[in-house]
Amino acid sequence: MRTRRPTLSAAVLGTVLAVSACSGAPEPGSEGAAAPSAPDRSWDEVLAEADGQTVDLWMYGGDQQGNTYVDDVLAPAAAELGVTLRRVPVADTADALNRVLSELQAGEDDGSVDLVWVNGENFATGRQADAWLCDWTAQLPAMEFVDPEDPLLTSDFGTPVDGCEAPWHKAQFVLAYDSADVTDPPASMTELFDWIEANPGRFTYPAPPDFTGSAFLRQALYAVAGGPDEVPAEFDQAAFDEVAPQLFERLSGLAPSLWRAGETYPRDLAALEELYAGDQVDMTMTYGPATLAQQVASGALPESTRVLPLDGGTLGNASFLAVPANAGDQAGALVVADLALSPEQQLAKADPAAWGQYPVVDLDRVPADVRSAFEALPSSPAVPPFAELSRDADPELGAGWVAPLEDGWRTDVLGG
Amino acid sequence: MPARGPRRALLLLLPAALPTAAVLGAALTVAVLQSTGLMPVVGEPDPTTATYRALAGDRALLDGLRVSLGVAAASTALALAVGLGMALLARTTRLGGRLLRAAAAATVPVPHLVGAAAVGLLLADSGLAARALGAESFPPLVAGPLWVAVVAEYAWKESAFVALVVLAALAAGERELDETAATLGAGPWQRLRRVALPMAAPAAVAAGGVTFAYVLGSYDVAWLLGRSYPEPLPVLAYRLWTDVDLARREQALAVAVVTTALALACLLVTAALLARTARTARAVR
Repeated sequence: MRTRRPTLSAAVLGTVLAVSACSGAPEPGSEGAAAPSAPDRSWDEVLAEADGQTVDLWMYGGDQQGNTYVDDVLAPAAAELGVTLRRVPVADTADALNRVLSELQAGEDDGSVDLVWVNGENFATGRQADAWLCDWTAQLPAMEFVDPEDPLLTSDFGTPVDGCEAPWHKAQFVLAYDSADVTDPPASMTELFDWIEANPGRFTYPAPPDFTGSAFLRQALYAVAGGPDEVPAEFDQAAFDEVAPQLFERLSGLAPSLWRAGETYPRDLAALEELYAGDQVDMTMTYGPATLAQQVASGALPESTRVLPLDGGTLGNASFLAVPANAGDQAGALVVADLALSPEQQLAKADPAAWGQYPVVDLDRVPADVRSAFEALPSSPAVPPFAELSRDADPELGAGWVAPLEDGWRTDVLGG
Repeated sequence: MPARGPRRALLLLLPAALPTAAVLGAALTVAVLQSTGLMPVVGEPDPTTATYRALAGDRALLDGLRVSLGVAAASTALALAVGLGMALLARTTRLGGRLLRAAAAATVPVPHLVGAAAVGLLLADSGLAARALGAESFPPLVAGPLWVAVVAEYAWKESAFVALVVLAALAAGERELDETAATLGAGPWQRLRRVALPMAAPAAVAAGGVTFAYVLGSYDVAWLLGRSYPEPLPVLAYRLWTDVDLARREQALAVAVVTTALALACLLVTAALLARTARTARAVR
C-alpha cells in the first residue's frame, strides 16, 4: 500500500489546521483530547445494529489484486453477516481523509465514509483532528488472535494506535538483487554501500519524495546512525542535526558510484523496476514483497531475483482499518473490520494468488487448522516467508521525520 | 457597414472567451493572492513579496527557468523546422498533401502522456532503440543531461500541429499564386522564398508561439522523461504544491505565476510577429 503518497497530503494538512484552528483542538494524541469513542455495548448488539447497513470502505484503488480481494472475497463474507460492503476507490488515501475532515467541518453526522484503509501520516493527521473513532478495537472478537504487545500494531509510524484503528496487513521493506549478476550479495546496509562503490553504475534508488525512495532514505539513516536505537522515533531537531548530515554525506559520497553517476535518479519505484528489468542495475527495492513475488512469477522481473537478507533487519509497518468519528454506518464498519481480521480472511488474503498481504494475526493464537493452512501457502523462490523477512524488523520512524529527510536529500544530495 | 464586422466577430467570440476568462482569471487571481500572502492557508493575510524574493535567490527556480526555456525553445524550433518543411514539401503534390494531412491528423489527438510513454519505451537506455542497435553504451536520451527525449516528444507532437496549421494556410490560394509565379518565370527557389514562405509565415509564427507557450507550461512529458534535477517550472511547482510543508504552497503558486507571465510574454511577442508577417503575406497576394 502506498501509505504516504504525497498528493494532497498538503491539502489535508491545510484542512486539518483549519479545523483545529476553528475548534481549538488539542495536540495529536495528547491527554484529554476529545477523541470520540465507540459506545460500550456487547458484540451481539453491534451485530444486530449492523444488519442491513451498507458500509463504504474507502481505499487506495490502484492495487488491482486488492480490489479483487475486497470485491470477491471480503464483500460476500460481509453479506453473510447482513452487511453490504461497498468499495470506494480513491487515488490517494488522503482523499478519503479530506472528505471526512470536510464533512466534520460541515457538522455532518451521517458521514459517507465508514471505513478507511490507512496508516502513517494520514492516520496521524486524522488523530490530530480527532477524526477517528477510538477505543473500539477491543470490542472486536477477532482481536484475540492479535498479539497485544506487537510493537508494529500498537504504534503506527510513531503515533499510538489507542484502539482508533484495527490492524489489517503487515508490510516489510526489502531490497532485491539479481542472483545471476550478483554472486556475492552484501549482507548489511554498510556492506551494500561498499558493494555499490565496488560496482559503479549498478545501483540506484527512486528519488524521494517517492514512497519507496523515502523508505530507502530511512533505512540508510538507521545504517549510518548505527541502528534504529540511535534515532529517536519522534522527530527531534537536535537528533536530526546530528544524524542527517552523516546520512547525506554518505549518500553524496555514494552518488558517483550510482547509475548515471548519481546525476539523476529514477523518478519512482516503477522507473527503478524498469531499469532493473532492463538489466541497467542489479538491485531493486519495495515495501510490498508480495508484489515482487508476483512480478517474478509473471516474468516481469528476472527469475533469478532474490530478496537481499540484511543483518539488522529492515523497516516494517502495518496498515489498518479506521472508522471516522462521523461514520454513518458505524456498527457495520466495526463488523467488517472484525471480519477482515478473522483468521479465515487473513488466510484468504495472504494467498499470493488472492492478494499476498502479510497477516497481522499471531500464528500462535489462531486455530491449528488455519495455522497449518498458512504454512501450506505457496512460497516464492524469490521472497522468503514473512517470518524470515520480518526477523529483527526495524520500527518505522515517526511521520515527522519524513519531510525533513526528503528536503535534506534534495538540497544536499541531489542538488549538492 | 464595415463597423458591424469586428463587433459581430467579438460577439461571436464571447461564448468562448467568457468562460476562458472567468476560469483563468479566477485561478490566476487566487494564485497571485496566495503567492503574495493575501490569502494564506493558515493565519492572517499579510501582504508580502517574500515568497518571490526567496524564489529569486533559489537555485531551483533559476535552474528550472533555464531548463524550461531551453526545452521550449528547442522543441519549438524543431517542431517548426519539421512541420514547416513537411508542409512545404507535401504541397508540391496533391497526394503528398493528403498523406501528410492524414498523418498529422492522426498524431495530433494522441495525448502527450501516451506519446511520452511511447518515446520512453523507444529511447530509454534499455528501450527498443537500444536493443535494436545492440549498442553497448547507448546515449542517455531519457533523463539525460540534454533532455533529448523530452524535446523529441514535444517536437514530434507539435510538428504535426504546425504542419496542419501551415497546410491549411497554404490551401487558401497558394497553388494558384505559385503557378502564376511559375508562368512569370520564377524559379523554384524564388517561388519558395517569395510566395510559399511569406504565405506560410503567419501560420507558422502562430503555431510556434502556441507551441512555445504550451511546452513552457506542460508537466507530464518533462516529469516522465526528464531528470530529477533541475526541474522544469511546472514540475517544480507541482512538487512544491504537494509538499507536506504548507509554506511551500505559496512558493508553488509563485512559480506558477512566473510561468504564466513567461507564457503571456511569449504570446505578446507572437502577436507582434504575427502582425508583421501577416502584412507581408497580404502583400504577396
